[in-house]
Amino acid sequence: MEDKTAVNQTLGVHDLGGTSGWGRVPYDPDEKPFHEEWERRVFGMMSQVLRHTAVRPGEFRRALERLAEKDYFAADGYYGRWRSGMEVLLEEYGHFEAGELDTHAGVAHGTGAGYRVSSAVEVDEDELPPDLPAPVPAHRTVRRELDRPSSFQIGDRVVAPGNRAGGHSRLPGYVWGVPGVVVKIHPAEVLPDSTAHNLGERPQHVICVAYKAEDLWGDDAEKGVVVNVDLYENYLRLEAEAQ
Amino acid sequence: MTEKEDHRHEMDSQLPEARTEALEDLLVEKGLIDRARIDSLIERFEHDLGPMIGARLVAKAWLEPEFRDRLVADTDQVLQEENVSGAQIEHVEIKANEPGIHNVVVCTLCSCYPWALLGLPPAWYKSPEYRARVVREPRKVLEEMGLSLEAETEIRVWDSSSETRFLVLPERPAGSEHLEIEELAELVTRDSMIGVARAQTP
Repeated sequence: MEDKTAVNQTLGVHDLGGTSGWGRVPYDPDEKPFHEEWERRVFGMMSQVLRHTAVRPGEFRRALERLAEKDYFAADGYYGRWRSGMEVLLEEYGHFEAGELDTHAGVAHGTGAGYRVSSAVEVDEDELPPDLPAPVPAHRTVRRELDRPSSFQIGDRVVAPGNRAGGHSRLPGYVWGVPGVVVKIHPAEVLPDSTAHNLGERPQHVICVAYKAEDLWGDDAEKGVVVNVDLYENYLRLEAEAQ
Repeated sequence: MTEKEDHRHEMDSQLPEARTEALEDLLVEKGLIDRARIDSLIERFEHDLGPMIGARLVAKAWLEPEFRDRLVADTDQVLQEENVSGAQIEHVEIKANEPGIHNVVVCTLCSCYPWALLGLPPAWYKSPEYRARVVREPRKVLEEMGLSLEAETEIRVWDSSSETRFLVLPERPAGSEHLEIEELAELVTRDSMIGVARAQTP
Protein backbone atom coordinates (compact mmCIF):
# COMPACT_ATOMS: atom_id res chain seq x y z
CA MET A 1 0.00 0.00 0.00
CA GLU A 2 1.20 3.47 -0.88
CA ASP A 3 2.81 5.27 2.02
CA LYS A 4 0.86 8.40 2.90
CA THR A 5 3.42 10.48 4.72
CA ALA A 6 3.03 13.86 6.33
CA VAL A 7 2.31 16.86 4.11
CA ASN A 8 2.57 15.13 0.78
CA GLN A 9 3.71 17.72 -1.76
CA THR A 10 1.71 16.07 -4.54
CA LEU A 11 -1.46 16.52 -2.54
CA GLY A 12 -0.79 20.04 -1.31
CA VAL A 13 -0.18 21.53 2.08
CA HIS A 14 -3.86 21.48 3.04
CA ASP A 15 -4.67 17.87 2.12
CA LEU A 16 -4.04 16.44 5.55
CA GLY A 17 -6.44 13.51 5.94
CA GLY A 18 -4.54 10.36 6.86
CA THR A 19 -1.07 11.94 6.73
CA SER A 20 1.26 10.62 9.41
CA GLY A 21 3.73 12.10 11.82
CA TRP A 22 1.26 14.21 13.81
CA GLY A 23 1.10 14.14 17.60
CA ARG A 24 -1.78 14.48 20.03
CA VAL A 25 -4.66 16.80 19.23
CA PRO A 26 -4.16 20.02 21.25
CA TYR A 27 -7.50 19.46 22.95
CA ASP A 28 -9.10 21.82 25.43
CA PRO A 29 -12.78 21.09 26.14
CA ASP A 30 -13.37 24.65 27.37
CA GLU A 31 -11.55 26.39 24.55
CA LYS A 32 -13.02 29.70 23.42
CA PRO A 33 -13.09 30.67 19.71
CA PHE A 34 -10.55 33.48 20.15
CA HIS A 35 -7.41 33.54 22.27
CA GLU A 36 -6.11 37.00 21.34
CA GLU A 37 -7.66 40.30 20.38
CA TRP A 38 -5.93 40.31 16.98
CA GLU A 39 -7.67 37.02 16.11
CA ARG A 40 -11.02 38.78 16.59
CA ARG A 41 -9.90 41.55 14.24
CA VAL A 42 -8.78 39.08 11.55
CA PHE A 43 -12.09 37.25 11.76
CA GLY A 44 -14.02 40.51 11.67
CA MET A 45 -12.18 41.80 8.59
CA MET A 46 -12.57 38.65 6.52
CA SER A 47 -16.07 39.00 5.09
CA GLN A 48 -15.48 42.60 4.02
CA VAL A 49 -12.13 41.74 2.42
CA LEU A 50 -13.69 38.82 0.54
CA ARG A 51 -16.27 41.16 -0.96
CA HIS A 52 -13.38 42.96 -2.70
CA THR A 53 -11.46 39.81 -3.62
CA ALA A 54 -12.48 36.14 -3.55
CA VAL A 55 -16.20 36.18 -4.24
CA ARG A 56 -16.53 32.79 -5.95
CA PRO A 57 -16.95 29.46 -4.12
CA GLY A 58 -13.59 27.88 -3.34
CA GLU A 59 -11.52 30.92 -4.26
CA PHE A 60 -10.44 31.92 -0.76
CA ARG A 61 -9.72 28.30 0.08
CA ARG A 62 -7.55 28.06 -3.02
CA ALA A 63 -5.57 31.07 -1.81
CA LEU A 64 -4.95 29.31 1.52
CA GLU A 65 -3.94 26.12 -0.28
CA ARG A 66 -1.29 28.05 -2.23
CA LEU A 67 0.38 29.43 0.90
CA ALA A 68 3.90 28.34 1.76
CA GLU A 69 4.04 25.69 4.48
CA LYS A 70 5.46 28.30 6.87
CA ASP A 71 2.36 30.46 6.41
CA TYR A 72 -0.17 27.62 6.27
CA PHE A 73 1.05 26.12 9.54
CA ALA A 74 1.74 29.57 10.96
CA ALA A 75 2.92 29.77 14.53
CA ASP A 76 0.03 32.18 15.10
CA GLY A 77 -2.45 29.53 14.07
CA TYR A 78 -5.59 29.49 12.02
CA TYR A 79 -6.25 33.21 12.05
CA GLY A 80 -2.63 33.81 11.00
CA ARG A 81 -3.39 31.62 7.98
CA TRP A 82 -6.49 33.70 7.23
CA ARG A 83 -4.48 36.91 7.48
CA SER A 84 -1.88 35.54 5.07
CA GLY A 85 -4.66 34.55 2.66
CA MET A 86 -6.11 38.07 2.79
CA GLU A 87 -2.69 39.65 2.20
CA VAL A 88 -2.15 37.45 -0.87
CA LEU A 89 -5.56 38.21 -2.37
CA LEU A 90 -5.37 41.96 -1.70
CA GLU A 91 -2.14 42.08 -3.71
CA GLU A 92 -3.39 39.80 -6.47
CA TYR A 93 -6.57 41.85 -6.90
CA GLY A 94 -4.51 45.02 -7.05
CA HIS A 95 -5.80 46.65 -3.86
CA PHE A 96 -2.29 46.61 -2.37
CA GLU A 97 0.96 47.15 -4.23
CA ALA A 98 3.62 44.48 -3.63
CA GLY A 99 5.32 45.38 -0.35
CA GLU A 100 2.82 48.11 0.51
CA LEU A 101 1.71 46.42 3.72
CA ASP A 102 5.34 45.90 4.76
CA THR A 103 5.95 49.61 4.24
CA HIS A 104 2.84 50.47 6.23
CA ALA A 105 3.94 48.12 9.02
CA GLY A 106 7.40 49.69 9.00
CA VAL A 107 9.25 46.48 8.17
CA ALA A 108 11.58 45.48 5.35
CA HIS A 109 9.94 44.37 2.14
CA GLY A 110 9.70 40.65 1.56
CA THR A 111 8.30 39.59 4.92
CA GLY A 112 4.71 38.91 3.88
CA ALA A 113 3.08 35.67 2.77
CA GLY A 114 2.65 37.17 -0.71
CA TYR A 115 6.39 36.71 -1.32
CA ARG A 116 6.19 32.97 -0.68
CA VAL A 117 2.82 32.02 -2.15
CA SER A 118 2.59 29.70 -5.18
CA SER A 119 1.06 31.33 -8.20
CA ALA A 120 -2.45 30.34 -9.22
CA VAL A 121 -2.15 27.42 -11.64
CA GLU A 122 -3.99 27.41 -14.93
CA VAL A 123 -6.54 24.63 -14.84
CA ASP A 124 -7.15 22.88 -18.16
CA GLU A 125 -10.85 23.19 -18.99
CA ASP A 126 -10.73 19.81 -20.70
CA GLU A 127 -10.04 18.24 -17.31
CA LEU A 128 -13.36 19.60 -16.01
CA PRO A 129 -16.83 18.23 -16.82
CA PRO A 130 -18.89 20.18 -19.39
CA ASP A 131 -20.69 23.29 -18.14
CA LEU A 132 -24.32 22.37 -18.78
CA PRO A 133 -26.70 25.20 -18.01
CA ALA A 134 -28.71 25.16 -14.78
CA PRO A 135 -30.88 28.06 -13.63
CA VAL A 136 -29.32 30.27 -10.95
CA PRO A 137 -31.74 30.48 -8.00
CA ALA A 138 -32.98 33.83 -6.75
CA HIS A 139 -31.41 33.40 -3.30
CA ARG A 140 -27.70 32.90 -2.69
CA THR A 141 -26.94 29.17 -2.67
CA VAL A 142 -24.39 26.75 -4.09
CA ARG A 143 -27.16 24.31 -5.01
CA ARG A 144 -28.45 24.04 -8.56
CA GLU A 145 -31.34 22.11 -10.03
CA LEU A 146 -30.19 19.78 -12.79
CA ASP A 147 -32.64 18.37 -15.30
CA ARG A 148 -30.91 14.99 -15.21
CA PRO A 149 -30.55 12.49 -12.39
CA SER A 150 -27.21 11.36 -11.02
CA SER A 151 -25.58 8.61 -13.04
CA PHE A 152 -24.97 6.68 -9.80
CA GLN A 153 -27.34 4.69 -7.59
CA ILE A 154 -27.23 4.07 -3.88
CA GLY A 155 -25.25 0.87 -3.36
CA ASP A 156 -22.96 1.37 -6.38
CA ARG A 157 -19.31 0.53 -5.80
CA VAL A 158 -17.31 3.53 -6.98
CA VAL A 159 -13.75 4.77 -7.09
CA ALA A 160 -12.25 8.26 -7.50
CA PRO A 161 -9.11 7.97 -9.63
CA GLY A 162 -7.75 11.32 -8.38
CA ASN A 163 -6.87 14.63 -9.90
CA ARG A 164 -3.24 15.54 -10.40
CA ALA A 165 -3.93 18.74 -12.32
CA GLY A 166 -3.09 20.82 -9.29
CA GLY A 167 -6.12 23.09 -9.02
CA HIS A 168 -8.65 23.42 -6.24
CA SER A 169 -10.49 20.19 -5.45
CA ARG A 170 -12.75 18.72 -2.79
CA LEU A 171 -11.40 15.25 -3.38
CA PRO A 172 -9.14 14.35 -0.46
CA GLY A 173 -5.99 12.48 -1.47
CA TYR A 174 -6.59 9.67 0.99
CA VAL A 175 -9.53 8.28 -1.03
CA TRP A 176 -7.75 8.30 -4.43
CA GLY A 177 -8.07 4.89 -6.05
CA VAL A 178 -9.87 3.37 -3.06
CA PRO A 179 -13.22 1.62 -3.66
CA GLY A 180 -16.23 2.82 -1.68
CA VAL A 181 -20.02 2.50 -1.71
CA VAL A 182 -22.56 5.21 -2.58
CA VAL A 183 -24.74 5.78 0.50
CA LYS A 184 -26.54 9.01 -0.44
CA ILE A 185 -27.11 11.25 -3.45
CA HIS A 186 -27.43 14.96 -2.66
CA PRO A 187 -28.81 17.65 -4.96
CA ALA A 188 -26.32 19.25 -7.34
CA GLU A 189 -23.92 21.99 -6.28
CA VAL A 190 -21.66 24.25 -8.30
CA LEU A 191 -18.25 22.62 -8.77
CA PRO A 192 -15.62 24.36 -6.61
CA ASP A 193 -12.84 22.92 -8.80
CA SER A 194 -14.22 25.15 -11.55
CA THR A 195 -15.61 28.18 -9.69
CA ALA A 196 -12.37 28.66 -7.72
CA HIS A 197 -10.59 29.18 -11.04
CA ASN A 198 -13.35 31.30 -12.62
CA LEU A 199 -14.22 28.60 -15.16
CA GLY A 200 -17.99 28.50 -14.70
CA GLU A 201 -20.37 26.68 -12.39
CA ARG A 202 -20.43 23.17 -13.93
CA PRO A 203 -22.90 21.88 -11.31
CA GLN A 204 -22.57 18.25 -10.21
CA HIS A 205 -24.63 15.95 -8.06
CA VAL A 206 -22.89 15.37 -4.75
CA ILE A 207 -22.44 11.73 -3.84
CA CYS A 208 -21.80 10.55 -0.29
CA VAL A 209 -19.37 7.64 -0.48
CA ALA A 210 -18.68 5.35 2.49
CA TYR A 211 -15.15 3.95 2.73
CA LYS A 212 -14.20 1.10 5.03
CA ALA A 213 -11.11 1.83 7.10
CA GLU A 214 -9.59 -1.48 5.92
CA ASP A 215 -9.82 -0.33 2.31
CA LEU A 216 -8.29 3.06 3.12
CA TRP A 217 -5.50 2.05 5.47
CA GLY A 218 -4.91 -1.66 4.93
CA ASP A 219 -3.61 -3.77 7.79
CA ASP A 220 -3.11 -0.73 10.06
CA ALA A 221 -6.81 0.09 10.04
CA GLU A 222 -8.84 0.27 13.22
CA LYS A 223 -11.75 -2.18 13.32
CA GLY A 224 -15.30 -1.03 12.78
CA VAL A 225 -14.58 2.36 11.22
CA VAL A 226 -16.31 3.87 8.17
CA VAL A 227 -15.27 7.23 6.70
CA ASN A 228 -17.97 9.05 4.73
CA VAL A 229 -16.94 11.68 2.17
CA ASP A 230 -19.21 13.89 0.03
CA LEU A 231 -17.78 13.85 -3.50
CA TYR A 232 -18.77 15.72 -6.65
CA GLU A 233 -20.06 13.28 -9.25
CA ASN A 234 -17.35 14.01 -11.83
CA TYR A 235 -14.71 12.65 -9.42
CA LEU A 236 -16.22 9.18 -9.50
CA ARG A 237 -16.28 6.10 -11.75
CA LEU A 238 -18.02 2.80 -11.24
CA GLU A 239 -15.42 0.48 -9.78
CA ALA A 240 -16.12 -2.14 -12.47
CA GLU A 241 -15.43 0.40 -15.24
CA ALA A 242 -12.39 1.98 -13.62
CA GLN A 243 -10.35 -1.21 -13.77
CA MET B 1 19.40 53.20 13.64
CA THR B 2 21.91 50.41 14.25
CA GLU B 3 21.53 47.10 12.51
CA LYS B 4 20.59 45.44 15.78
CA GLU B 5 17.83 47.92 16.53
CA ASP B 6 16.56 47.62 12.99
CA HIS B 7 16.36 43.84 13.36
CA ARG B 8 14.47 44.14 16.64
CA HIS B 9 12.05 46.57 15.08
CA GLU B 10 11.41 44.11 12.29
CA MET B 11 10.78 41.30 14.74
CA ASP B 12 8.33 43.42 16.74
CA SER B 13 6.41 44.35 13.65
CA GLN B 14 6.11 40.72 12.72
CA LEU B 15 4.16 39.95 15.85
CA PRO B 16 0.62 39.07 14.86
CA GLU B 17 -0.81 42.03 16.75
CA ALA B 18 1.33 44.50 14.78
CA ARG B 19 0.80 42.85 11.41
CA THR B 20 -2.97 42.64 11.92
CA GLU B 21 -3.18 46.25 13.06
CA ALA B 22 -1.20 47.40 10.01
CA LEU B 23 -3.50 45.40 7.74
CA GLU B 24 -6.65 46.83 9.30
CA ASP B 25 -5.32 50.40 9.20
CA LEU B 26 -4.34 50.12 5.55
CA LEU B 27 -7.72 48.65 4.61
CA VAL B 28 -9.54 51.46 6.41
CA GLU B 29 -7.25 54.08 4.85
CA LYS B 30 -8.12 52.72 1.39
CA GLY B 31 -11.82 52.72 2.19
CA LEU B 32 -12.10 48.95 1.67
CA ILE B 33 -13.50 48.13 5.10
CA ASP B 34 -15.54 49.75 7.83
CA ARG B 35 -14.38 49.31 11.44
CA ALA B 36 -17.87 49.50 12.91
CA ARG B 37 -18.94 46.55 10.80
CA ILE B 38 -15.94 44.55 12.03
CA ASP B 39 -16.96 45.30 15.61
CA SER B 40 -20.57 44.29 15.08
CA LEU B 41 -19.60 41.05 13.30
CA ILE B 42 -17.31 40.04 16.17
CA GLU B 43 -20.04 40.92 18.67
CA ARG B 44 -22.57 38.75 16.83
CA PHE B 45 -20.29 35.73 16.52
CA GLU B 46 -19.00 35.92 20.07
CA HIS B 47 -22.25 36.58 21.86
CA ASP B 48 -25.28 35.70 19.75
CA LEU B 49 -23.99 32.52 18.13
CA GLY B 50 -22.75 29.49 19.99
CA PRO B 51 -23.34 25.85 20.90
CA MET B 52 -26.55 26.78 22.74
CA ILE B 53 -28.31 26.92 19.36
CA GLY B 54 -27.44 23.33 18.46
CA ALA B 55 -27.96 22.23 22.06
CA ARG B 56 -31.58 23.39 22.11
CA LEU B 57 -32.31 21.36 18.97
CA VAL B 58 -30.70 18.28 20.51
CA ALA B 59 -32.65 18.68 23.76
CA LYS B 60 -35.89 19.08 21.84
CA ALA B 61 -35.07 15.97 19.80
CA TRP B 62 -34.53 14.01 23.04
CA LEU B 63 -37.93 15.11 24.33
CA GLU B 64 -39.99 14.75 21.16
CA PRO B 65 -39.44 11.58 19.09
CA GLU B 66 -41.47 12.93 16.18
CA PHE B 67 -39.32 16.08 16.08
CA ARG B 68 -36.19 13.95 16.28
CA ASP B 69 -37.23 11.88 13.28
CA ARG B 70 -37.96 14.94 11.16
CA LEU B 71 -34.78 16.69 12.29
CA VAL B 72 -32.68 13.74 11.17
CA ALA B 73 -34.62 13.12 7.95
CA ASP B 74 -34.89 16.71 6.72
CA THR B 75 -32.66 18.98 8.74
CA ASP B 76 -32.82 21.98 6.40
CA GLN B 77 -36.62 22.08 6.54
CA VAL B 78 -36.69 21.80 10.35
CA LEU B 79 -34.03 24.49 10.78
CA GLN B 80 -36.17 26.80 8.67
CA GLU B 81 -39.25 26.05 10.79
CA GLU B 82 -37.22 26.65 13.96
CA ASN B 83 -35.93 29.95 12.55
CA VAL B 84 -32.31 28.82 12.72
CA SER B 85 -30.24 30.26 9.88
CA GLY B 86 -26.92 31.94 9.24
CA ALA B 87 -23.38 31.39 8.08
CA GLN B 88 -22.14 27.96 7.10
CA ILE B 89 -25.42 26.11 7.62
CA GLU B 90 -27.01 26.38 4.22
CA HIS B 91 -27.25 22.58 4.18
CA VAL B 92 -26.95 20.50 7.32
CA GLU B 93 -27.20 16.81 8.11
CA ILE B 94 -27.70 15.50 11.62
CA LYS B 95 -26.01 12.21 12.44
CA ALA B 96 -27.64 10.50 15.41
CA ASN B 97 -25.59 8.37 17.79
CA GLU B 98 -27.25 5.21 19.02
CA PRO B 99 -26.13 2.17 20.94
CA GLY B 100 -23.32 0.61 18.88
CA ILE B 101 -22.92 3.60 16.52
CA HIS B 102 -20.85 6.71 17.18
CA ASN B 103 -20.52 9.63 14.74
CA VAL B 104 -17.69 12.17 14.59
CA VAL B 105 -17.20 15.17 12.28
CA VAL B 106 -14.06 16.59 10.65
CA CYS B 107 -13.01 18.65 7.63
CA THR B 108 -9.69 17.25 6.43
CA LEU B 109 -9.17 19.71 3.54
CA CYS B 110 -10.12 22.92 5.34
CA SER B 111 -11.86 23.46 8.69
CA CYS B 112 -15.53 23.58 7.70
CA TYR B 113 -17.93 23.69 10.61
CA PRO B 114 -21.62 24.59 11.17
CA TRP B 115 -20.99 28.13 12.50
CA ALA B 116 -24.60 29.18 12.99
CA LEU B 117 -25.35 26.03 15.05
CA LEU B 118 -22.18 25.83 17.15
CA GLY B 119 -20.51 29.24 16.94
CA LEU B 120 -16.93 29.49 15.70
CA PRO B 121 -14.83 26.35 15.98
CA PRO B 122 -12.19 25.77 18.66
CA ALA B 123 -8.54 25.72 17.54
CA TRP B 124 -8.15 21.97 18.11
CA TYR B 125 -10.86 21.23 15.49
CA LYS B 126 -8.80 23.22 12.97
CA SER B 127 -5.46 21.68 14.02
CA PRO B 128 -3.50 19.52 11.57
CA GLU B 129 -3.35 16.82 14.24
CA TYR B 130 -7.14 16.44 14.34
CA ARG B 131 -7.64 16.84 10.58
CA ALA B 132 -4.94 14.28 9.74
CA ARG B 133 -5.61 11.66 12.37
CA VAL B 134 -9.33 11.41 13.02
CA VAL B 135 -9.96 9.74 9.64
CA ARG B 136 -7.09 7.30 10.11
CA GLU B 137 -7.30 6.34 13.78
CA PRO B 138 -10.51 7.80 15.22
CA ARG B 139 -10.74 5.30 18.08
CA LYS B 140 -7.28 6.23 19.30
CA VAL B 141 -7.82 9.98 18.81
CA LEU B 142 -11.13 9.91 20.71
CA GLU B 143 -9.50 7.87 23.47
CA GLU B 144 -6.74 10.47 23.78
CA MET B 145 -9.40 13.18 23.97
CA GLY B 146 -11.10 11.36 26.83
CA LEU B 147 -13.82 9.42 24.99
CA SER B 148 -13.44 5.65 25.26
CA LEU B 149 -15.76 3.69 23.00
CA GLU B 150 -16.43 -0.01 23.27
CA ALA B 151 -14.53 -2.10 20.74
CA GLU B 152 -17.82 -3.24 19.17
CA THR B 153 -19.08 0.30 18.60
CA GLU B 154 -18.93 1.28 14.94
CA ILE B 155 -17.37 4.69 14.32
CA ARG B 156 -18.73 6.74 11.43
CA VAL B 157 -16.49 9.65 10.47
CA TRP B 158 -18.00 12.44 8.33
CA ASP B 159 -15.48 14.44 6.29
CA SER B 160 -17.09 17.80 5.36
CA SER B 161 -15.73 17.95 1.82
CA SER B 162 -18.76 19.50 0.07
CA GLU B 163 -20.96 22.39 1.24
CA THR B 164 -23.02 20.16 3.56
CA ARG B 165 -22.26 20.62 7.25
CA PHE B 166 -22.71 17.95 9.92
CA LEU B 167 -23.91 17.96 13.51
CA VAL B 168 -23.89 14.93 15.80
CA LEU B 169 -27.01 14.18 17.86
CA PRO B 170 -25.52 12.65 21.00
CA GLU B 171 -27.32 9.97 23.02
CA ARG B 172 -29.47 11.21 25.89
CA PRO B 173 -27.63 10.52 29.13
CA ALA B 174 -29.03 8.20 31.79
CA GLY B 175 -30.65 9.99 34.71
CA SER B 176 -31.99 12.85 32.57
CA GLU B 177 -35.55 11.49 32.25
CA HIS B 178 -37.12 14.08 34.56
CA LEU B 179 -35.40 17.15 33.11
CA GLU B 180 -37.01 20.02 31.20
CA ILE B 181 -35.69 21.27 27.87
CA GLU B 182 -33.52 24.05 29.34
CA GLU B 183 -31.85 21.67 31.79
CA LEU B 184 -31.33 19.08 29.07
CA ALA B 185 -29.77 21.65 26.75
CA GLU B 186 -27.16 22.42 29.39
CA LEU B 187 -25.94 18.83 29.18
CA VAL B 188 -25.30 19.15 25.44
CA THR B 189 -21.75 20.40 25.02
CA ARG B 190 -20.22 21.72 21.83
CA ASP B 191 -17.86 18.76 21.72
CA SER B 192 -20.69 16.24 22.05
CA MET B 193 -22.18 17.74 18.86
CA ILE B 194 -18.83 17.42 17.03
CA GLY B 195 -18.67 13.83 18.26
CA VAL B 196 -15.54 13.90 20.41
CA ALA B 197 -17.41 13.70 23.71
CA ARG B 198 -20.63 12.34 25.20
CA ALA B 199 -23.36 14.63 26.50
CA GLN B 200 -22.81 15.37 30.17
CA THR B 201 -24.68 13.39 32.82
CA PRO B 202 -26.96 15.34 35.16
